[in-house]
Amino acid sequence: MFKQHVKSLLLLELLKGLRLTGRYLFAKKFTVQYPEEKTPMSPRFRGQHALRRYDNGEERCIACKLCEAVCPALAITIEAAERADGTRRTTRYDIDLYKCIFCGFCEEACPVDAIVETRHFEYHGEQAGDLLMTKEKLLALGDKLSDEISRDRASDAPYR
Amino acid sequence: MARIEIDGKTYEVEAGKTLIEITDAHGIEIPRFCYHKKLSVAASCRMCLVDVANAPKPLPACATPVWDGMKIQTRSPRAINAQKAVMEFLLINHPLDCPICDQGGECELQDVAVAYGKDRTRFIEEKRIVIDKNIGALISTAFTRCIHCTRCVRFGEEIAGVKELGATQRGDHMRIDTYMTDTVNSELSGNVIDLCPVGALTAKPSRFAARPWELHTAHGIAPHDAFGSHLEFHIRRNQVMRVVPRENVALNEVWLSDRDRFSYQGLYAQDRLTAPMIKKDGQWQTVDWESALLFAAEGLKKIPAKQLGGLASATATVEELYLLQKLLRGLGSNNIDHRLQQVDFSEKTTKAPFLNQRPADLAQADVVLLVCANLRKQQPLLNHRLRQAVLHNHAEVIRINVYDYPQNFPVSHNLTVAPHQLVATLAGIAKALDEAQPAFKNIEISEQQRAIAACLQKNNKKIKVLLGEAADNLPQLASIRTLTALIAKLTFATFSETGRYANSAGAILAGALPQQTLAGQAISGETGLNAQQMLSQSLQAYVLLGFEPELDSIMGATALQTLQNAPFVVAINGFCTEAMQGYANVLLPMALFAETSGTYVNNSGDWQRFTAAVAPVGSARPAWKILRVLANLLDVHDFAYTASDEILNEVKMLCETSAQTVEDSTWVLSAPQALCYLTEPAIYAGDALVRRATALQATADAQACHGAHVNQRTADKLRLSAGQQVKLSQNGGSAILPLVIDAALADDCVLVYTGLAESAGLAHDVGTIDLTAA
Amino acid sequence: MANQVCFKFKQHNQAESWTLAAYQALGGYKVIKKILNEKIAPETLIAELKTSALRGRGGAGFSTGLKWSFMLPRDEAARERMKGVQKYIVCNSDEGEPGTCKDRDILRYNPHALIEGMMIAGYTIGASKGYNYIRGEFWQPYQRFETAIAEAYKAGLLGENILNTGFDFDLYTHLGAGAYICGEETALLESIEGKKGQPRFKPPFPASYGLYGQPTTINNTETLSSVPSILANSGEWFLNLGKPNNGGEKLFSVSGHVERPANYEIPMGTPFADLLNMAGGVWQGRKLKAVIPGGSSTPVLKAEIAMKMNMDYDSIAAAGSMLGAGSVIIMDDSTDMVKTLARLAHFYYDESCGQCTPCREGTGWLTRILHRILHGEGRPEDLELLDNVSNQIMGNTICALGDAAAMPVISFIKNFREEFQYYIEHGRSMVG
Repeated sequence: MFKQHVKSLLLLELLKGLRLTGRYLFAKKFTVQYPEEKTPMSPRFRGQHALRRYDNGEERCIACKLCEAVCPALAITIEAAERADGTRRTTRYDIDLYKCIFCGFCEEACPVDAIVETRHFEYHGEQAGDLLMTKEKLLALGDKLSDEISRDRASDAPYR
Repeated sequence: MARIEIDGKTYEVEAGKTLIEITDAHGIEIPRFCYHKKLSVAASCRMCLVDVANAPKPLPACATPVWDGMKIQTRSPRAINAQKAVMEFLLINHPLDCPICDQGGECELQDVAVAYGKDRTRFIEEKRIVIDKNIGALISTAFTRCIHCTRCVRFGEEIAGVKELGATQRGDHMRIDTYMTDTVNSELSGNVIDLCPVGALTAKPSRFAARPWELHTAHGIAPHDAFGSHLEFHIRRNQVMRVVPRENVALNEVWLSDRDRFSYQGLYAQDRLTAPMIKKDGQWQTVDWESALLFAAEGLKKIPAKQLGGLASATATVEELYLLQKLLRGLGSNNIDHRLQQVDFSEKTTKAPFLNQRPADLAQADVVLLVCANLRKQQPLLNHRLRQAVLHNHAEVIRINVYDYPQNFPVSHNLTVAPHQLVATLAGIAKALDEAQPAFKNIEISEQQRAIAACLQKNNKKIKVLLGEAADNLPQLASIRTLTALIAKLTFATFSETGRYANSAGAILAGALPQQTLAGQAISGETGLNAQQMLSQSLQAYVLLGFEPELDSIMGATALQTLQNAPFVVAINGFCTEAMQGYANVLLPMALFAETSGTYVNNSGDWQRFTAAVAPVGSARPAWKILRVLANLLDVHDFAYTASDEILNEVKMLCETSAQTVEDSTWVLSAPQALCYLTEPAIYAGDALVRRATALQATADAQACHGAHVNQRTADKLRLSAGQQVKLSQNGGSAILPLVIDAALADDCVLVYTGLAESAGLAHDVGTIDLTAA
Repeated sequence: MANQVCFKFKQHNQAESWTLAAYQALGGYKVIKKILNEKIAPETLIAELKTSALRGRGGAGFSTGLKWSFMLPRDEAARERMKGVQKYIVCNSDEGEPGTCKDRDILRYNPHALIEGMMIAGYTIGASKGYNYIRGEFWQPYQRFETAIAEAYKAGLLGENILNTGFDFDLYTHLGAGAYICGEETALLESIEGKKGQPRFKPPFPASYGLYGQPTTINNTETLSSVPSILANSGEWFLNLGKPNNGGEKLFSVSGHVERPANYEIPMGTPFADLLNMAGGVWQGRKLKAVIPGGSSTPVLKAEIAMKMNMDYDSIAAAGSMLGAGSVIIMDDSTDMVKTLARLAHFYYDESCGQCTPCREGTGWLTRILHRILHGEGRPEDLELLDNVSNQIMGNTICALGDAAAMPVISFIKNFREEFQYYIEHGRSMVG
């Protein structure tokens, strides 16, 4: 009884609590100051899609349509045709980012590593249609990030 | 009967059948590549090896006949090991390029590999590479993928009857190649695409266009020849991506002609009419359906009934043809016809062309007389049945034609005569069969005619007399038909007519004729004008159904001229050409085959109903709906149909309850001509749809139809040489064409095909034709 | 005793033994004349052949009497059915097996024995037409045989109504174009018919569906050439030349590392050691390493096993190989077995007709692996792979070429495994 009175008089429990607060006040901080700071990212990060090219500039995609078939959200639409040189190519490759659930199945289904999900996730659309990725947009992103994508593929290669 | 045991279960089966036939019938799975139920057994892929008790080694199920007491294990370690071994061998040199292979997803090798293949290869050597070859416009090749099952080779030998593909070289170097020519030209060539178990032979027109898993299927009926093959549409996003045969034991078995397979390309032709158009003040404008139909109705209302004509193509459905004639007759006009290729209208009654037997019966024939029939190119699958009769039943075939049509089986008598000699030839044969008939008094019988007659007079033999589609184009049609039927009667033969178009029979049954209405019933009152009359004497208004006068009509230029002179023309068509815009006042877009429901009556007498597989292009509508609304706007009675079935039931009921009375016709000898003009529709230009199938136009068969054909003697007589530009002129029509020397023609004949732009300027005239150097 | 059957002329040191006169001097054509004049029943002839235990000399060793008996109608109904049916007798002189050259010498030195043999066969099975399919490379034998046929026709021994006995027999020669597979009887028939030489699937066997779809009997040159001698003496006589179930004398083509490679006609059951001695022993006094007893497609045997065996069907089978066509390939201790096998594998790879998957793909695979080993790029697991691939080919093809390609591989690796292992490890041969 007496003990309890002393405790409450001296605010011991409050100080106890404040001790924890104090410890974290001076401890090393974990909060990341996004966007100035960024968390580390796995090479397997599944961000925005890109279509890759070979080193000679030839697009990788061969229009096999496996990604279209595997896509659980039906976000991919492909039209294929024979190119003048007789190879099988897409004439249309759309990814509707509104539908996409970023599951990464398209990446996994791709036999030629053409469609990939990049580390790039900071994007937005200003009007309807902006987030409908066309073949041109996807290839452009692939070109822009080609070094980073290649590095990521290489680092992940031993586990695939 | 034999009692056998498969995987521990006992089956009562027919002795002598092969094991694979029995397992297939009982749903027991045995993998196979070279075996195909319609081809001979090669037993070379070795995939179907099974374990038979007491056999020293695994036996191929495809080539092993069953015997009583046989014990088979399809899943024993010995069977599985053999099958897995073969699978590994097949895969070592097969490029694993499934992602770019059109067969991917429907590949037999892929399927079997999933079940019997390993996921790791032990083959680290270099794979075999085989250089591809361009074998024509229809089939694309990737010979590296070939697994040497030789199905395509056996198909050529056994079904198509032309050895175009063969296995050259031996062992590891063995490859499939073309033997004699560089391209595969058979009219059935497309079937090798279905037969090929891998992606070595794929369809060129639909190359890379779609994946099997994206496609859904719908049933259809082939729209080109009167045989009426069953087919399947493969559809993606409301577009027909390709056409494949649908198995039908009674008709096409598992085959399909190239024309029926690739004509779907025409559906997506550049000149497809997608919205109604009307011509106002000489200007064409696209309008909505209501305005277009009102415009058409207004125009037609002003015309006196007798000045109204209706012309339809025989590729239209029974429902469409029935409604067209009902509409015109409802308005008071009997001017309706579909016989656009005919020149002889002397017969009083028209009978629907029927085989009067099943196609399978033809395969059992002993003696067959073919008159004016280009069976091989025009009805390849009926020809296939006949070929079976020749190969397996040793049938004797006698051919009497105006053109020595290509044939793929031995023929015992083969006559090619000029049209005017044809009647005399048939009369000679008829006389040799029955000399007593007074009508034959002045006919002389040649030795050959006597020999043919002897051939046809056989007891206890199945004799068939077949009048082909090419007779339609001859001015002696009535005489030829009368005499051929007479020969059939004298020899107690089955008399057959093949008809030309998908609905040749249906059009007659539906009553699209000036002198008879539904089910061949004669009309009361004055008969209407026939196609020839309608297209030579201008009426004030026409309703055209799927008809392109300059190409579909045998009268070409004259027909076009007549329509251009007509004040008001309503064209219901799937396409829009410049010529159409020249003569029509209203263009109403109609749904084509695959887009509409309807019925075709084939030459076996089957009423084959089909439904729409895809929605029509643009705002096109089924023609029966267009005609219904037009009739409603014109206040014609009894046009309250809500579905095409209702129309069909109406037609069928009347056809089933009434019998046609046929008037006997006579025959007359025809006078010889200095230069006889022959014509028939080019193989891939017979109707609006196939004319627009680009791949088919690039085939050798289509190419061979160009130009003016004469034989060498005729060319010498006219002092013309091959390749030279010549001018054909008659009755105001003319065309300039290159001269083609064609040994298949009789002397003093010139053949020009219709349906081609180059010959559209000609107006068929049975009288004379001039052929001079241009 | 030797040279009593096909090489009888050797005993008499005849010059130009291939002429009709020379053949007749040794009693040639007496048998057929007797048969035709006395109209001996086919059943009697077949019984005599069965007594002789003559077995097919082409490699399979099937009883000749039994084979001919398939062509006779089984009952009256069959006899009625077979009336007027054209049958054929075909001689297989497409001697393509590496190591064999016996038929070549029969055609060169004793062609009339073959003609008489074919006539007897024709008479027995009821065939009025015979074909001799001669290997494309055999130009001199072909000419000799053609000359012999011409002589026989001239002497009235071939053609219509031979010797006024009412027996017709025409004989044609067909020169092959160099395909080993045409030595397979049904491929041979295809080739005569003018088609690509590819074996047919059996059944139906040639006895019911053979040349041009007619009943046909196909025999090896040596088999047919032995028939006149057998019937001139007796089945018993022939049987006693050899051993029970392994009747008569047989031609052995001895090749490889011997002093005198040649054809030797010796009684069946002669010890291998004696045959080797006849051929002058291993050349240059070297040591025997291995023997292929029946042509390249039969399993190879190690020297110590070979030296203990006798040259007949049963003894060689007991030793683990096959008599085959009797082509004995001798290899001395300087032989590189890896290279030998690679060469053999390449032969079968080259000669596969390409019809059946296991043979078409498997022979190529074997060859590629072996060549890789020869180039020093072998892997330890390759031996297992070679053995496995061979077993996957064995028994899974239409004809025996697949087996023929697989058996050497299996036996070479089994008997000389350490040589292969050495080659893989060191990238070079053990024998230098």
